Amino acid sequence: MMSVKTNFLFLFLFSIAVFSQEEQTISGTVYDKNNNETLIGVSLYFPELNAGVTTNEYGFYSVTLPKGTYKVQVNYLGYYSIVETIILNKKITKNFKLEEESESLDEIVIKSNIEKLNVKTPQMSVNRLTSATIKQIPVVLGEADIIKSLILLPGVTSAGEGASGFNVRGGAADQNLILLDEAVVFNSSHLFGFFSVFNPDVIKDVKLYKGGIPSKYGGRLSSVLDIYQKEGNSNDFKLTGGIGLVSSRLLAEGPIEKGKSSFLIGGRASYAHLFLPLFNNENKAYFYDLNSKINYRFNDQNNLFLSTYFGKDVFGISDNFVNKYGNSVVNLRWNHLYSDKLFSNLSIIYSDYFYGLILDFVGFEWDSGITNFNLKYDFKHYINNDFKLSYGISSIYSKFNPGKIVPNRPDSGIIAEKLTDKYANEFASYIDAEHTLSDKLRVQYGIRFSNFTRLGQDELNVYKDNKPVLYDTEFKKYKAAEAIASDSFKRSDVISSFNNFEPRFSLSYTLDDQTSIKASYNRMAQYLHLLSNTSSPAPLDVWTPSGKYIKPQLLDQFAIGYFKFLKDGDYSIETEAFYKDIQNRIDYINGANLVANNEIETVILNGKARAYGLEILVKKNQGKLKGWLAYTLSKSEQLTAGRTFNEPGINNGEWYNTPYDKTHDFSINASYELNKKWKFNTNFVFQTGQPTNYPVGQYEVQSLNVPIYNDNSRNSDRLPAYHRLDISATLNPEKNNKRKWQAEWVFGIYNVYGRQNAASVNFSQNRETSRNEAVQTAIFGLVPSVTYNFKF
Amino acid sequence: MNKIFLLSVLMSFFFIRCEKVIDIEVPSIEPKLIIDASFEVLFDQTPVTSNNSVKLRLSADYFDDTIPVVTDATVFLTNLSDNSIISFTDENTDGDYKSVDSFTPLDGVAYELTVIHNNEIYKAKATKIKSSKITSIVQGEKTLFSGEEVELKISFKDDEAMKNHYLINVDRYNYLPIEDRYFNGSDYNFSYFYEDENIEFPKTIDIKLSGITQEYFTYFRILIGQSGQNAGGPFQSAPSSLLGNIINTTNEANFPLGYFHISETDTFKIELVE
Repeated sequence: MMSVKTNFLFLFLFSIAVFSQEEQTISGTVYDKNNNETLIGVSLYFPELNAGVTTNEYGFYSVTLPKGTYKVQVNYLGYYSIVETIILNKKITKNFKLEEESESLDEIVIKSNIEKLNVKTPQMSVNRLTSATIKQIPVVLGEADIIKSLILLPGVTSAGEGASGFNVRGGAADQNLILLDEAVVFNSSHLFGFFSVFNPDVIKDVKLYKGGIPSKYGGRLSSVLDIYQKEGNSNDFKLTGGIGLVSSRLLAEGPIEKGKSSFLIGGRASYAHLFLPLFNNENKAYFYDLNSKINYRFNDQNNLFLSTYFGKDVFGISDNFVNKYGNSVVNLRWNHLYSDKLFSNLSIIYSDYFYGLILDFVGFEWDSGITNFNLKYDFKHYINNDFKLSYGISSIYSKFNPGKIVPNRPDSGIIAEKLTDKYANEFASYIDAEHTLSDKLRVQYGIRFSNFTRLGQDELNVYKDNKPVLYDTEFKKYKAAEAIASDSFKRSDVISSFNNFEPRFSLSYTLDDQTSIKASYNRMAQYLHLLSNTSSPAPLDVWTPSGKYIKPQLLDQFAIGYFKFLKDGDYSIETEAFYKDIQNRIDYINGANLVANNEIETVILNGKARAYGLEILVKKNQGKLKGWLAYTLSKSEQLTAGRTFNEPGINNGEWYNTPYDKTHDFSINASYELNKKWKFNTNFVFQTGQPTNYPVGQYEVQSLNVPIYNDNSRNSDRLPAYHRLDISATLNPEKNNKRKWQAEWVFGIYNVYGRQNAASVNFSQNRETSRNEAVQTAIFGLVPSVTYNFKF
Repeated sequence: MNKIFLLSVLMSFFFIRCEKVIDIEVPSIEPKLIIDASFEVLFDQTPVTSNNSVKLRLSADYFDDTIPVVTDATVFLTNLSDNSIISFTDENTDGDYKSVDSFTPLDGVAYELTVIHNNEIYKAKATKIKSSKITSIVQGEKTLFSGEEVELKISFKDDEAMKNHYLINVDRYNYLPIEDRYFNGSDYNFSYFYEDENIEFPKTIDIKLSGITQEYFTYFRILIGQSGQNAGGPFQSAPSSLLGNIINTTNEANFPLGYFHISETDTFKIELVE
């Protein structure tokens, strides 16, 4: 089946790949002059032709133009631009090396045209962050953090401090595809979400797609967070590091063979006993992560990368309670140029998420997780200046371990139990075209075909009338059905199979050099579901595949936008409106137990979701004062109707707010470079309070005071609004200029005015007074921090 | 495993959290009839006795200081095997209805509870559920999260022949529902961490082990989750009205809250020392 599809792709490709005699191709790679890192998203602009191209994720570009002599401007934010004259009368391979802008502001800054191409490209709903930006943003305890930085962008929120994951345009946290060097990462947070798992020193480039997602990506509905790690300095050996209040980082990189191959190894570890009151020395709580990468450039046509990531969280309360979880990723990639117009990347990826728990006081050990193998082959074909194609195939084989329980000591009395492992394969092929129809109109269109096959497992329950959930009309509640039989399969059997065509389309219409209107549509299919009935995911939540009882989630998203650049890109305004419609979003019956449930289908109800909103992003890209202002007005809702007329569904079958519905989300980030020595940075955030439920009454049962909740107003109450201000100052000591050891100090204050933001409100009876109380918990008041970063 | 409990407790160990009592306007509803009828048959005593009481209350607004009692209802049980009637009265007019004649629920007999209040009839059925005997409970040395807990090492022998659910009740206010899924038929032992901020040693506490139905197990799990529920935060899950097994046969929409349940219960007294 796979080969037929591939052939189809190639046929399609060659039928349109018509070459012109009058044109020639210039191609190559753009590097950072200092460390030989390839640069992603560099724009090469040919003013005479008003044509341009940007480098891909591996720094490669290729552009085909009529023969002639042209000027080319090579621009990249934060780097000096290069202008060169190119005589294009034959095929040329031309690599560029850009030099980073020095800290000195006295020199003349060359105006760049970076944003001009962005105005024209049909791609919309994308935000980019560089490692440098992420490191400057003030964060709690001075721990530079990708995800906390993303939350400052429009359309991105989280469930609050200490909440893992993030929500994009009213989507759930399990709907984000997080890719680290093209490998899927399942858990993005350390310590339940206080920190993210990405070491900022190792990160080269971060791109978040919120909409108009190209057909190259699939498998999650709401967003793609595409993170690329550095390759390692292939010129010199370098050490980079930092010492912070929470963790310390160290990164070593250098050439294996100068200019050709490099290595990088970076580690980050928190201090043991982190935040735990030291009443007992046997307690521990820490996390670490380790990134490594080896890059070997055989020649201009072949480049090999081996990268790994290991991250782990450990904490334990003496021997009574030990909790460990983390991701592992191993990834081998091969970049190959079939021609100066055809770039390819082959990836073989192993990715794993493990969760383990030892509860000695009840006498058992528990582990669960997900393992997957991904093979994918991606091509980028630079056919001519007006037409570029991306196409490829991908296959992901996944094994789900929903849980295993074993006695942890001989006298425990616990009987081992293994929940049935599940297996699945997700195949996808895609083709995507970037097409310039006229000087004003550019389109990007493509289609992704995905097939999800649930493979045979040892036992699969069968229910009467195929209904795993029953509704008890007498007592008015949903309850789990008892299985009437159990089917057993061979591993190679197909239990269920789903096919989806996912069309993607976006266009840009340029009104003038600085202004454009964009529109996009994308359909996405998601075959995996994170079983979680809390507002934000927890480490012990397990992933489950679609199958006989759970259907794949499907999304249709429409977005339109207006993009305007002022003063040659010094300022930019991006406005977007979006509408999302999601089918097959699951919710859970009242009292559902999601942990160690081998019959998870018996607690799931099928529903749908929708979200819509307006985003405004105003940026100042140049000068001493830089930053942005973001505002999002949005709504995110869910509907779980009854399956028949006499069933109420959830919330009486009416729409209800998702736990991540935030009406207003406003943020400001600004940085000001006072002089060579001092740089200042500030954030301000304001968000509507999280949707929640307040009790409507109380009663007593068996000496317990029980609150009453309403069944038809789910998530209709709100926590108080969330807002805070952070500041930070970066000090670059002057003596840095003269020496090899470069150091900087980052001083920060999180939540400057000490706002007690409600993380939660607890409703319970005070034992002493026997009165009911609402107790608000705030996690962080004012938190000062200091971090020392170095490089040599 | 109760995930939300587990996470909330763990979370409370990170960072300096600031707690304060706040004023919140909460919505209110029409009062509902609450029927709290959990009978305990103390099967390991001679003679076998039982705690039978039907507590009738009305629900109140969340921040009200008192919960109104219902003293004007008619309450009786019907033995469904012979249709005999067991009458209950509220002698002390405190809303606690006791059987007029001493009464111990019998093995394998289904009973129907009838409550008549405001001309509406409420009904529920229950049959006594087997329990197991507590083998031993001893005080241990370990602590869990706060370091202030008292470890109770509880062991009992589960009945292999059937699927059991248990409700463990420690010192009246603390409940733990468990199922024998992971220890069917074994001599099960585990540690329960008892916590009382104002404890003064020595203190004698009662521990009860009751056999319960699967439905009551689920009901109690939600009940514990919702009493002391966190609104908001990363680990909140949407609560909903907690319907028990009692129905209003006159007016279905005006459903009562509470449960009618009959369990076998074993009790154990232990003196806790420092």
